[in-house]
Amino acid sequence: MMRALVVLSLIALSGLGLPAVPPAAAQEAPAGAAPGEALPVARHTLDNGMTFLILPRRQSPTVSLVVHYPVGSVNERLGNTGIAHVLEHMLFKGSEEIGTRDRAGEAPLMDAADAARDSMIAELFGHDPDSAEVRRLQSLTGAIESQAHALSIPNEFDRILTAHGARGLNATTAHESTRYFVELPANRLELWFLLEADRMKNPVMRGFTTELDVVREERRMRLETSPGGILETSLLATAFQVHPYGVPVIGHAADLEFLTRRQVLEYFRAYYGARNAVAAIVGDVDPGQVVEWAEKYFGGVPPGIPAAPVTAREPEQAGERRIEVEFDAEPRIMLAWRGVSGLHEDAAALSMLASVLTAGRTTRLYQRLIARDQSALHVSAYQGPGFAHPRLFVVSAVPRSPHTPADLEAAIYEEIEAIKREPPDAAALLRIRNQISAGEFRRLSSNLELAMQIAASQASFGDWRETFRLSRRISDVTPEDVQRVAARYLKPSTRTVATMVRKGSS
Amino acid sequence: MNRLVRGISVRGATLAVVTSAVAAALAGGARPASAQESVRERISAMEFPELRFSPVKPRKETVRGVPVYFAEDRELPLVTIYATFRGGVRRFSRDHFAAATALPGLMRTGGTRDLPPDSVDARIELLALATSFGQGGGGSSSWINTLTGQLDEAVALWADMLRWPRFDSTQVEVWRGAELERVRRRRDDPASLAFSRFNRIMYGDHPVGWEMEPLDLESADLSQERLRYVHEAVICPDNMVLGVAGDVTWRRASRLLEGILADWPPCSGNLLEDPQPDIRTEPGVFVIQKEIEQSVVVLAHSSSLRQGDTGEYFASRIANSILGASGLSSRLATELRTRQGLSYSASSIWTTSRRDDGLVGALTRTRPQRTLAAARLLLAALDSVRTTAPEADEVEHAVGEIVNGFVFNFRTPLQVVARGMTYESLGLPDDWLERYLDGIRDVTADDVLEVFRAEMDPARMTILLVGDTTRFDGSPSELGTVTVLSAGIDDPRDRPSDRPSTPREWPRSPQ
Repeated sequence: MMRALVVLSLIALSGLGLPAVPPAAAQEAPAGAAPGEALPVARHTLDNGMTFLILPRRQSPTVSLVVHYPVGSVNERLGNTGIAHVLEHMLFKGSEEIGTRDRAGEAPLMDAADAARDSMIAELFGHDPDSAEVRRLQSLTGAIESQAHALSIPNEFDRILTAHGARGLNATTAHESTRYFVELPANRLELWFLLEADRMKNPVMRGFTTELDVVREERRMRLETSPGGILETSLLATAFQVHPYGVPVIGHAADLEFLTRRQVLEYFRAYYGARNAVAAIVGDVDPGQVVEWAEKYFGGVPPGIPAAPVTAREPEQAGERRIEVEFDAEPRIMLAWRGVSGLHEDAAALSMLASVLTAGRTTRLYQRLIARDQSALHVSAYQGPGFAHPRLFVVSAVPRSPHTPADLEAAIYEEIEAIKREPPDAAALLRIRNQISAGEFRRLSSNLELAMQIAASQASFGDWRETFRLSRRISDVTPEDVQRVAARYLKPSTRTVATMVRKGSS
Repeated sequence: MNRLVRGISVRGATLAVVTSAVAAALAGGARPASAQESVRERISAMEFPELRFSPVKPRKETVRGVPVYFAEDRELPLVTIYATFRGGVRRFSRDHFAAATALPGLMRTGGTRDLPPDSVDARIELLALATSFGQGGGGSSSWINTLTGQLDEAVALWADMLRWPRFDSTQVEVWRGAELERVRRRRDDPASLAFSRFNRIMYGDHPVGWEMEPLDLESADLSQERLRYVHEAVICPDNMVLGVAGDVTWRRASRLLEGILADWPPCSGNLLEDPQPDIRTEPGVFVIQKEIEQSVVVLAHSSSLRQGDTGEYFASRIANSILGASGLSSRLATELRTRQGLSYSASSIWTTSRRDDGLVGALTRTRPQRTLAAARLLLAALDSVRTTAPEADEVEHAVGEIVNGFVFNFRTPLQVVARGMTYESLGLPDDWLERYLDGIRDVTADDVLEVFRAEMDPARMTILLVGDTTRFDGSPSELGTVTVLSAGIDDPRDRPSDRPSTPREWPRSPQ
């Protein structure tokens, strides 16, 4: 039995419909469109350039809120890595008013702490550093920051929102996106407008050096003590020698030690203008009221400057690169080939190739490594990191003892060569297409996830619908397309291989 | 219709008062930044309209003696069918530990009476089904999510997987090998090592304390006989609660469920009594050396508090929130993260069940050089909550978070259905959520102090430190009597000498 799933009528989405949608937003979706394209999303752009996407959905009296900035660690410079993520942390420290008992008292203390730290850094990296003086200045910085802390109201931004019943208040930073999100009872929506606009206009980065310590702990947790994290970081650093995709989003450890508050504020001013921000609001809302509050609260946010483009280009790779990472963990392996950006015409075919290899128990590598050879605990294929720049096609695998990474590597190459010789069968692609079709409905289930998807799509492509079209393009890929991109991109000469070995075992 | 649920009215108006009080308390005498109305004043002046909505109320039915919770949801052409089963690893002796652990996974991967594993996989992918088979100690569960157009085929396949698992020998061997590899890799991640080992230290030879070992995973431990023994004991109508939510009428759903349950035989009766844990009571310090850049600190002791409609239980929920369960706003995060920069996260532990003792304590992760400092800060925070009542605004904040966020309990029909099933399985009354809300609203600062005094004692803590002891900021013996454990597996040295060790010959369960 091989058949495509029944094409479902968009009438099923009537529950998501809303009569009060501005005509400009209520365009008809084309025939064969994904259901997400038919969503009645209203778009409103303020004079300062900030875009609001509004999707009323009255399942429950709650609202999901996302502000997306299409900037991240690719917008950093050598020596300042991790700054995008540090800024994300600092935007939870409050504003000129929220987070302090005495702004007039704390401001000079924060400046004094900065000055002491600048002196410490200058001394440390000077011609003849005096370690006693470095320690004195470090201690002075800490002492002044403690005085400033005494005037603060810790985590007041968080406390106000959570006291009003907020759920999931958080933010994430990635290579080319940073997003801030929260969910609120629908009757508290105006509170979000007030607080979010306030921190966007007047952020105050209190407790700066202490928060750098927090970020360094986060780095230890996510990267330095995680076998998967440390291997992926090493792989990217080897594959990308010029492009910022080679730098971990959380930054280099030494950079996190010496970042300054001034640098983070400069990054904020360069990239967080209203023109770079997209807000998505999904839930039990009145679009007219949302537009009124958007104008009232965010209208005064400075437009900022256009984000400087990322001009770095990774040079051609001439020959395989291979590294071994020693760590106190069992072995694992990552293989990566130079691929294309998400905007490239071959991106969809490479996505289908990744699915043919590992998206499900019937797929090539799953069947070979986990079912037949029983040589692997886990295998997955994907494109990354990021989306907007040429990235990698990655296969990551975890061996089962006594099998080794080398065993897995050889088997993975055999399966890839088989696809180069003969395209995958139509049944395999049909299974994947059916899952994409069903996924187009499942991805609409959660208001917060929906808000994240349309905000990212609008910010990256200038069109909230584009995210739904991407899936359609993957569904249109043919077996011959898959064979062609496997042959074109999965070549030994552009490959990077990273293997983890237990410390002391080699 | 202003009522959210029966017995709770004028919520919006009441809650506005709660939050205004919190906002005023947070303002704490601060001066406005300018002559303009300040942000805090604007928050205080905000009026929040009362929430008006009619929450989905699931239909509660019985099909062939099995309770079924149902809610129709026509928004998307998707249907979820969910089953929970009383019975899991905790209801078997150790010689069935592997089989009981493997059961959910092998129902998914091991094929059915009529279909070999490959055919099941191909149908699941072709029909684009999302499925899950899992368990959590005392209970097991499974759900399937399908497009409405494939509902009949999806339900038929899912029912066969639950009722007629083949336990294909190749797939059993794949599971066994993979589990051995997971055991081998348990020490790779310091946090999972710490949590697994901490349970072992605290619970000893109780299912919560069992760590899978190669000895549990010999071929005989996963024989057809053992797998069928656990399957017939757990996956059967007497243990079952069902839920259906989505794009389907009750008429159609009930017909499908009738078909599933029509001739399903009753449970075998092979479940053992859920054993009462004998949680370690004496204080102590356990250390696992691992050369790593961040230590894990876990400390806890037993708590006899039970989940139930009592003032003490509701006070414990507010107490836990104030101490360390409410993210950045909690005391532990504010002290260890915001003030000291020692940790990315620091949180409290307070497990409560309907019938067993639980654990109360705290955990964090920090650099090796501050490990003891972090442990001491946790202990100091646990001590301070039992000497001084929390500030009024702390209690109001914790209550406001739950009361004002109450609507998040009604986000989707599926959520409402799943909650009904959970209450049914746990033996909680249908109106537990309303009782919970009422109980939470009544908690006072004195109630919180009282429950901390009754249940929290830093001097009784068992402390586990996983990290590079050579770089610690002192000797762990400064915190108490130290037992050094190995990070390895199946190593007698792992077993704290003061706990009964797991016997080499497991006691047999009745066949």
